[in-house]
Amino acid sequence: MTRGLRSAGLRARTWVAAALRGVAASPLPSLLTALTVAVTLALGGAFFLLLANLEGVLERVGRELGVSAYLAPELTPEEVAELAARARALPGVAAVEHVTREEAAVRFAAGAPERAGWLEALGESPLPASLELTLAPGERTGEATRAVAEALRALPGVEDVAADDDWVDGYARTLALLRGVGAVLGAVLAGATVLLVGSTIRLAVYARRDEIEILSLVGASRSFIALPFLIEGALLGAAGGAAALAGLSAGFRAVEAGFGAGLAFLLGTSPPVFLSPGESLLLVATGAGLGLVGAAGSLLGGMRAGGAQA
Amino acid sequence: MRRDATELAGGDAHVRLYHVSKSYLAGQLALRDVTLEIAKSEFVFLTGPSGAGKTTLLRLLFAAERPSEGQALVLGRNVGRLPESAIPALRRRIGVVFQDFKLLPRRTVEENVRIALDVVGVPPREARARAFAMLKQVGLQHRRHQRPLALSGGEQQRVAIARALVNEPDLLLADEPTGNLDPDLTLEILELISGAAARGTTVVVATHDQSILQRYRRRTLRLEAGVLSEVHPGPGPRP
Repeated sequence: MTRGLRSAGLRARTWVAAALRGVAASPLPSLLTALTVAVTLALGGAFFLLLANLEGVLERVGRELGVSAYLAPELTPEEVAELAARARALPGVAAVEHVTREEAAVRFAAGAPERAGWLEALGESPLPASLELTLAPGERTGEATRAVAEALRALPGVEDVAADDDWVDGYARTLALLRGVGAVLGAVLAGATVLLVGSTIRLAVYARRDEIEILSLVGASRSFIALPFLIEGALLGAAGGAAALAGLSAGFRAVEAGFGAGLAFLLGTSPPVFLSPGESLLLVATGAGLGLVGAAGSLLGGMRAGGAQA
Repeated sequence: MRRDATELAGGDAHVRLYHVSKSYLAGQLALRDVTLEIAKSEFVFLTGPSGAGKTTLLRLLFAAERPSEGQALVLGRNVGRLPESAIPALRRRIGVVFQDFKLLPRRTVEENVRIALDVVGVPPREARARAFAMLKQVGLQHRRHQRPLALSGGEQQRVAIARALVNEPDLLLADEPTGNLDPDLTLEILELISGAAARGTTVVVATHDQSILQRYRRRTLRLEAGVLSEVHPGPGPRP
């Protein structure tokens, strides 16, 4: 270890010790701040979890929405293959599946037991062969769906086109709404966390104004004085984040155990997902970051009042 | 005591003020056209009635104030032009002692002294050793783990002096350091401060205690309504 690194390490130890002393000096306000930050971050985390699970459902729904091109019965397999290739080349199309008349009949019959009888009564299946197009995730908008449908209608051999553009619009709107609510909620909760930690640090600066004055008198730089407060803010935020993570984990397990059947109905075949290790770490880091920002904001005004300029 | 600025520019002075005035409100001067030079290792008393400007002058010397007019050179730095970021470096070369001690009540005596070492990045082990040596010098090594409020006024002031001197400052400023102490403790404190001057620290002690001025034959500057004049020391023992 170089001398510079050792010196930096010693200073960091001094600052962290000062920050911990600050937390210990006002245990109740620190605890209340960490708990309130925990509740705030847990609310945000819970919404994020809900969004992540619902987005999974919506993604599956989105995959099933698309455009169907019903083909003329006289098309040869080669012509169908060429049509499929031309459809696949259309902008925004992710996949094309050829559904033969037989497959269409099987699908129709699978929908309800009595349908098989209807097809038998008709003798020959009236259902046409089709090309089923799935749109790329970024192209699942009503406008893109309608554009693909128009392009398909212009292709020779395509007799009719059915597009789920209304559904696709609904899907896109739902996703946008959820993300928008998430963004607003996230911003509000982040702002609340910043204000909360900022208020606590402002009180800490006021409570330790004598110490700040003395440090300033003996030649402490502004950064030397400010760093323990910044670390204190980050620690409170991180503690809140960790508590939020613990609360979310407990809540998730309780919901999973108590409402498993309801979740299975809501989410289909996918099991409910919790935050990944990376996302969990991000939650704690977000708490620390917001605490740091709150502390930094309050220090701008608070240290002057506390006498750092003495 | 007015001297020519060019005359003041020479020599080995730690403090040089050229026609310094300080006003807080328009038309109300705390210091009026003060010119002064204090040489390296010199021990100077600053006296005058309450409100005469003694504290303002000391605050100028540790860059807590800036002159409204004139130039103030402290340890070679122009206080009026010193950027905010350079003030800590200047203060690390200055020890300050106050009448009200300014100790941290929740820290131990040793921690109060170590604060001055922490800010300059002295490693913990060395800081402990230096703080112990300094407390031994002021006779308080046995009370290093106690809190300041468990100490008498004289002991608290000795802790404050230990904190001011632990970094071996070039300049020691003391603002009424014996104001709250009885005569015996006053002499004890002044002996400690005199010891610092004997070791080469420039010392400025602000006091309105005439008995101290009469006892110690030192250069004495008198401030009255912000105007500085020099009082020639009368006969008496030198510390």
